[in-house]
Amino acid sequence: MKRRDFVKYAGGGIASLIVGSVMPSWISKNPLLATTTKLVQELNFTITDAVKDMVTHNSINKAQCYFWFYKEKTFPAEVPGPHIFTTAGNTVKVTLTNSLDEPHAFYISGLVDSGPIRPGETKTIEFTPQTAGTYLYYDNLNAPVNRVMGLHGALVVMPSKAVSGHRFTPYSNPTPSVQQLFDDFGSTEHFPGIAWEAGDDATHTPAFRQYVWVLHEASSRLFEEVGKYTPGKDYPAAQFMKAFQFDRYRPDGLNKKPEFFTINGHSGWFAAHNPYITPNHRVGEPVVVRILNAGLSMHSLHIHANHVYRIGVNGVVQENPIWMDTLTVDPLEIYEWAVPFIRPPDVPNERGIGLPDKPLMSIPNPRIVGSTPHPVWPPTEELNIHLPDIGEKVGDYDLAVQLSPICYPMHDHSEASQSSQGGNYGLGMMSGLHFIGDRNTPGGVTTFPNAPTYHGPVETGTAAGPEMGMDGSHTMTSNTTNTNARTQIINNPINTDPVKNEHQSHGN
Amino acid sequence: MSSSKPGYQIPRRSVKGHEASWVKSFNPPKASPPTPELLAPTNPVPAFVAANIPGATMQIPNTQRVDLMHGTELKTWDGKKLEFFLIANPDVPEAADGIFPGPTIRVPRGVIYHGQVKGHGQPPHTVHWHGIEPTAINDGVGHCSMEIGDYAYQWQPNHIGSYFYHCHRNTLQHFEYGLYGFLIIEPPDAYDPKDGKNVGGYPRRTAANLTNFPKFPGFVGGSLESGDPHAMTVPYDVEALWVIDDIDSVWREQAQDAHQTFPEHGDEPGINDEFHFNGSGKYNFFAFNDYNPDYFVVTGEYFPGRVGGTATMRSGVTVPAAYNSGVEGMQISINAKINQTVLVRMLCAAYVKINITFPVDVVVIACDGRSFGVPPFGKYNHPYTLKAGTPFEMSTAQRCDVLFRTEKPMNTFAQVEYRHHLSDAFLINGRIPITVK
Repeated sequence: MKRRDFVKYAGGGIASLIVGSVMPSWISKNPLLATTTKLVQELNFTITDAVKDMVTHNSINKAQCYFWFYKEKTFPAEVPGPHIFTTAGNTVKVTLTNSLDEPHAFYISGLVDSGPIRPGETKTIEFTPQTAGTYLYYDNLNAPVNRVMGLHGALVVMPSKAVSGHRFTPYSNPTPSVQQLFDDFGSTEHFPGIAWEAGDDATHTPAFRQYVWVLHEASSRLFEEVGKYTPGKDYPAAQFMKAFQFDRYRPDGLNKKPEFFTINGHSGWFAAHNPYITPNHRVGEPVVVRILNAGLSMHSLHIHANHVYRIGVNGVVQENPIWMDTLTVDPLEIYEWAVPFIRPPDVPNERGIGLPDKPLMSIPNPRIVGSTPHPVWPPTEELNIHLPDIGEKVGDYDLAVQLSPICYPMHDHSEASQSSQGGNYGLGMMSGLHFIGDRNTPGGVTTFPNAPTYHGPVETGTAAGPEMGMDGSHTMTSNTTNTNARTQIINNPINTDPVKNEHQSHGN
Repeated sequence: MSSSKPGYQIPRRSVKGHEASWVKSFNPPKASPPTPELLAPTNPVPAFVAANIPGATMQIPNTQRVDLMHGTELKTWDGKKLEFFLIANPDVPEAADGIFPGPTIRVPRGVIYHGQVKGHGQPPHTVHWHGIEPTAINDGVGHCSMEIGDYAYQWQPNHIGSYFYHCHRNTLQHFEYGLYGFLIIEPPDAYDPKDGKNVGGYPRRTAANLTNFPKFPGFVGGSLESGDPHAMTVPYDVEALWVIDDIDSVWREQAQDAHQTFPEHGDEPGINDEFHFNGSGKYNFFAFNDYNPDYFVVTGEYFPGRVGGTATMRSGVTVPAAYNSGVEGMQISINAKINQTVLVRMLCAAYVKINITFPVDVVVIACDGRSFGVPPFGKYNHPYTLKAGTPFEMSTAQRCDVLFRTEKPMNTFAQVEYRHHLSDAFLINGRIPITVK
C-alpha cells in the first residue's frame, strides 16, 4: 500500500499503535496491522474536538456531527481514537493534554484512571496490563457524556506466549475448550487450513488475523448542543441521557436521538469495504474479532456465512463457547469471536453434515451460456456473474459488480441502527465477511477473481479520501519515516505476481 | 473549543475508483438471474404438503414457493388496523393471500432446497434464510448480490435446528412490517414415512447432545459421520413456536410507503447521491432510527396489553398444518401431558430486547441453529440447565431451543419481558400460558 493510501485508511480506530521496545512477532507477521502500525514507547494524546462529515454527507446533503476525541500526535484526526496494541507485561505510558474547556480523563476499567485533567493541563500516566484481552479506554468523567461524545478507543493486550505445548489463543489463561478450538484450527478434518497463529507468505496471508469493532451511536443535534454548552461547565449527564434515549418522536427524525451508527467511526460501505474492518480471507484462515460497545444502545450483531464461537465475554474466557450467528452487545460490553472461516456449510456437498466434503456436481443451467456440469464449490458460475450487468452505466461509471470475491454482510439486526439520518437503509452499523479464496481446493490454494485487486489485506487499491489535509493541521509527510520499516511488506502487492493473481479454475 | 470552532475537520472519504460497489451498497440492482451451480431440488416437503393439505398443489417439483406481498391491513388485539407486508405460499390456498408471520418452512437436513421467490407490489425484495449459510447469491442480501423479481434460491441445509427467513430489502422496514417466517431444519428422514412414523405430526426429532441429561428418553448418540439419520438427536412430543415480536404502530401509520427514504445514486456517485428520496420530495427524511413499539405479539398471537403493563396470551393457541409444512399440532401457548418432552423454539423478532423466564427448569440445547455438544463443530460447548425463574436475554434474530419434561402437573406461564433497545426502559410483561396435565 502506498503511504498516501495508508494515511487515508488510518485513523478512525483503524490506525494501530504498538507499545513496546520491539515489534512483537504477532504484529510483524501481520501486514494488516503492520501497514497501519507505529511502534511507540509512549502514547501522545490530545483531548480535542472535530466536526466530521458522516456517511450521507455530500454536495447536496449535509450530514455532519460534532465529536470529542483522543487525537494521537502523528495520526490523522479520527473518531474514535486509534487501536492500541500491546503485549501482556509491557508498560504503557500515556501523555494526555486536555485542549477542551472542561476536565477530561483517560480510564480503563481495572487498569488505569488518570483522574481529572484540567483544561490546558498535561498529565502522564503509566500502567502494565498483565492479562491478555480486549479493553475499552475512555473518558469516565461526567459519565456517560464524555465517552459517548467520542472520547473512547480500543486497547488490545496480546499474550506474551502460548500456553506450553499448545497454540496461541488471544488469552493468557485460556479455558480448555477455547484452547482446544485454537489447537484444532488447521489441524482437524473439520477445520482444514492454517492455525490462527500461522500465516503464509506465499499467499500473503497474515498470521494472528484479528479485527477490532468499536460500536457507537451519534446524535448530531445533541452533540452540537454539548459543544455549544457554557465553556467550563459540564453538560448535565441526566439531561444528555434523557435526550439521547427518550427524546420525543418526530416523524421527520429531527429530534436528539442518535441518527448515525458506526463501527470504528464508519458506517455502511465505508466500513463494509474497508479491509481493516471487514475480514477478507480464504476458507481455512481463522480470524479473531474483538467487539466493544462504546455507545448507549444495545446492538444485536448478525454475521452471515459462518457461525462464530463466542470465546470471551467481558474479560471472561468462556468455559462453554457457544457457536452463534447473532450476538447481543449491551453498552460497555466487550466480546471476542473466533471466526472459523470455514466453507459456508450449506453449500451442497456429499454428506450434508457441515463438513467440507466433496461438492456436488451441478447440472447444466440452460439460462447460463456454456453451463456444463462442474463441482458447485468453488462456485465458478456465480463468481463470473456481474450484478448489475456489465454496461449498466451512470454517467461515465460502469455500475457492474462481479460476485467475486464472495461478500457477505455483518449487521446489527436491531435494525433501527441500519439507517442514517432516519432512512437510507444500508448506511448504518455494518461490516462484513469476505471470502477471497479457499485453502482447501483441489490443486492447492485458490484465490477468487478480483481479490488481489482491492479486497486483499496487502493491496487495497485506490484509496478513498481527499489527497491532502486529512488531519486538518499536519501534512501527511510528517511521519513518513515511521513507516519505512514497513515498506518491504507493503510494497509487495499480490497482483504483481501473475501466477498467483490468476483465478484457479475448478470446472471439469 | 466548540462545535462552531472545532479543532479539526474530518472529511468523509471519497469513493473514487469504487463507485459501483458504493452504489450497490445502498441502491442494489434489481434482477432475476438464473441460479448458478444448478442442482435438481430433492426437498420432499412440497409433495407432502400437496398430498396432505386440502387444495394444495406443487406447481414446481420439490420447490418451496415464497411470494412477498405488500399493503395488507390486519387487526390487532384491540381492533386497531395496522399495515402489514406479508409472505404467501401460492401452493397452499389458506396461505395464498399471505399470513403473519409467513408459513413455517420445514426442510430435512441434507436435501437440495429450492425456494422460488417472487416479489409482488411496490419494491423488489429478497429472502435471506437467516442462519443458513450458502453462497452469496443464495444468501439473499441485495447489497452483496441482487434484489429480485423472481429467483430460485438454492442451498443444502447441513445443521438441524431453528432458523427463520425474511426479506433483506430495506430490512429495517420490511422485516418489521411482517415479511418473515420460521424455518426448521429437521433430521434427514423427517418426511420419510417408511418407518411408520407420523410424518405430519408428533413425535418428531431434533439435534441435541443429551448424554448428561438422561431425563429425556429416546436420545440417540453416535456420530454424524456414521450416516445414521438419528445420530445425536432426541425425540420430542410437544413443539411450541415462540416468534417474539414487537410493532411500532406509529411507523405503520406514517411510513406506509414502502419507498420511504430509499437512497438513489446520483450521476456522480459519491458526490451527489440522493439520500432523501421519497414520493413527497426533498429533505423529507423519516425517523427509522426512532423505534418505539406499542404492540407485542408471539407467532401472530398478541399479548393484549399496553406499554407499562402485564398481559396474558390466550391458552390453547396452535398453528394450522397449512401454515406449518403439513405438520399438525404445533403450539404457541403450551398444553402438554406429564412426562412428555416439550421443545420450545424461540426467535426474538423484536427490535427491542427480551428477557424470557420459565416456570420450570429447562435445558438449553441449541442456539442459532447450532446444537451444543454435537461433534465435531459442537465439541467445544455443551447444553446447560436454565433454572426456573432465571431470565434469559435474547436480542433481535437470535434463536434458542429449550427442552423440558415434568412429572408434576402445572398451570402456569412463561414471562416475556420487553425492554427498549436504546433506553433499556421497561415496556411490557407478556405471559405465555403453560399447562401440563
